[in-house]
Amino acid sequence: MSDKQADAKEGTSAEKVPLVQVPLVQVPLVRMVDIDKWFGKVNALQGINFTVNHGEIVGLVGDNGAGKSTLIKILSGFYPADRGEIYFEGKKVNISNPKLAKKLGIETVYQEQALAPHISIARNVFMGREPTRFMGFMDRGMMDRESMGAITKLGLRIKDPEAMVEALSGGQRQGVAIARVLYFKAKLVVLDEPTIALSVKESQQVLDFMQQLKAEGISVIFITHNIFHAFQVAERFFILARGEMLTDVRKEDTTIDHLIDLIVSGRREIKS
Amino acid sequence: MVQREAGNKTRGERSALSNDKFMVRFLSYRVSFTLIVFVVLLVFFGIFSAGHSFFGIANLTALAKLAPDLGIVALGVGTLMIAGEFDLSVASTIPLSSFVFTKLLGWGTPHALILVITLLTGAIIGMSNGLLVVKTKLPSFIITLGTMLFWRGIVYAASRMSPIGIMAWLEPDAWLLKVFVGFIGGMVPVQFVWFLFFFAVLGVIVQLHRFGNWIYVTGDNQIAARAMGIDTDMVKTVCYVIVGVLCSFMGMIQNLRIESFAANQGVGFELRAIASAVVGGTSLMGGIGSIPGIFLGTLTIQIIDNGLILMGAPAFGINAFIGGAIIIFAVLNVTVARVTGK
Repeated sequence: MSDKQADAKEGTSAEKVPLVQVPLVQVPLVRMVDIDKWFGKVNALQGINFTVNHGEIVGLVGDNGAGKSTLIKILSGFYPADRGEIYFEGKKVNISNPKLAKKLGIETVYQEQALAPHISIARNVFMGREPTRFMGFMDRGMMDRESMGAITKLGLRIKDPEAMVEALSGGQRQGVAIARVLYFKAKLVVLDEPTIALSVKESQQVLDFMQQLKAEGISVIFITHNIFHAFQVAERFFILARGEMLTDVRKEDTTIDHLIDLIVSGRREIKS
Repeated sequence: MVQREAGNKTRGERSALSNDKFMVRFLSYRVSFTLIVFVVLLVFFGIFSAGHSFFGIANLTALAKLAPDLGIVALGVGTLMIAGEFDLSVASTIPLSSFVFTKLLGWGTPHALILVITLLTGAIIGMSNGLLVVKTKLPSFIITLGTMLFWRGIVYAASRMSPIGIMAWLEPDAWLLKVFVGFIGGMVPVQFVWFLFFFAVLGVIVQLHRFGNWIYVTGDNQIAARAMGIDTDMVKTVCYVIVGVLCSFMGMIQNLRIESFAANQGVGFELRAIASAVVGGTSLMGGIGSIPGIFLGTLTIQIIDNGLILMGAPAFGINAFIGGAIIIFAVLNVTVARVTGK
């Protein structure tokens, strides 16, 4: 309870300051500048520039091995970059570990790694951040209520907070993982291939979740190699190939055929 | 629309809903099957033991004295299994603690200090097991097989395998005897009360405390637990310490009951403790299980043992029945999981 209130307070005060001083539109939420990453002799990322604005859904598209995951792992503190700078809400930050990323409000949702299957939905949502009443004993009523609240907010229909995650469909599981970041006031949610193992209907559900996050003012980085999924929800596209950023284009300035052509040909539209 | 309504349901409506589904819920818990089998066995042995001796005062008292031995160890081992690890070294922590306890008595150490040092022995062994497992990242089955043999070797060498009686060093009215092997109201063996005590404490922690949630998550999906900031190495190490302390406690009360240190104390307990947990619905893969289940599981194994002897089954063949029971329960667990999706 108290943790959440504290979080909420922090959140509002942090938002108010830039509102007064500088217009939000001019300061991107995240700006990664000239990022280089080497793995041994392999240049995994070459001078990458990447930005995400407030409340924006960004599609980060590219084939396997293009460098999408490497870029995101730098942003979420798993790897250090060999060169380049990261700015969060206009301030230069050094995200040296995943905890710092979380503290800033950057949450990454991985399909397989997010949930414990044999544990209830409520316990999964609050995993590691359980609200307590006294001496560390969990406030289970609150966990049930709040987890259902976050899930309902996302537009997901689940009746029983005590149901095990194993009993849910793939789309619903993604929903529970996303509800968790929604509840804990993330500013930026990274979804790493969230639709890869899902049916058509479930994929659609996950795309809807992204719209809900946007409606809550949360920015989303949608990593995928399915350009059709990305085109449905994203407002801006970054296309990576072999560690190079091919393009950074807004949806209204491009077409799906053009993007496919870029991915296939590997042609670079932006100069380094 | 529908989801809005579901979200707005009052507490009363929701509990009415769950009352309707009580039977469905009940049967979906793995513990339910252990409970059903447990009750069936009680009735069966009550009817078929010679002269209904199963429910005789003498037998119930004997059970209440003996069951806590395996029971207390199984509660710890089962908790550790929920966290996804095994501890075979319990079989050696028990006699080692008993040996330490006996030596300290022989040296005339103050009894309170003996109690502390004995329990500390288990805590240290548990801690070293835990650190070995989390630091080497090797299967705990192998690591604790090693520590089991190591500590048993130490115990055998130190004691030269000969039993050591303790009664010469203990006044008949020593509080150690009263507190650990006395009777409450002249009827209930105090060991059983300790068993219930550990059952209650571990039950409350594992099922209701946030640390309990960390135990489940650690066993169920360690990567997710880590990603959410749970220190899974710490969780596992603490569970190993719990197992060690419980083994020391049990080694001590067994020592006081049989009035001596015996080098073969604890032999076979490592697998019987795991069997108790499995019969109580605990998964060998971690993440699934419950303290009430483990409690019932260990009682079930022990009444099978006891009841069959009362019915005149050959004592040396009892293991065959217990082995069969373990396999049946392991199969049941998997089947239930498949059918209910839980």
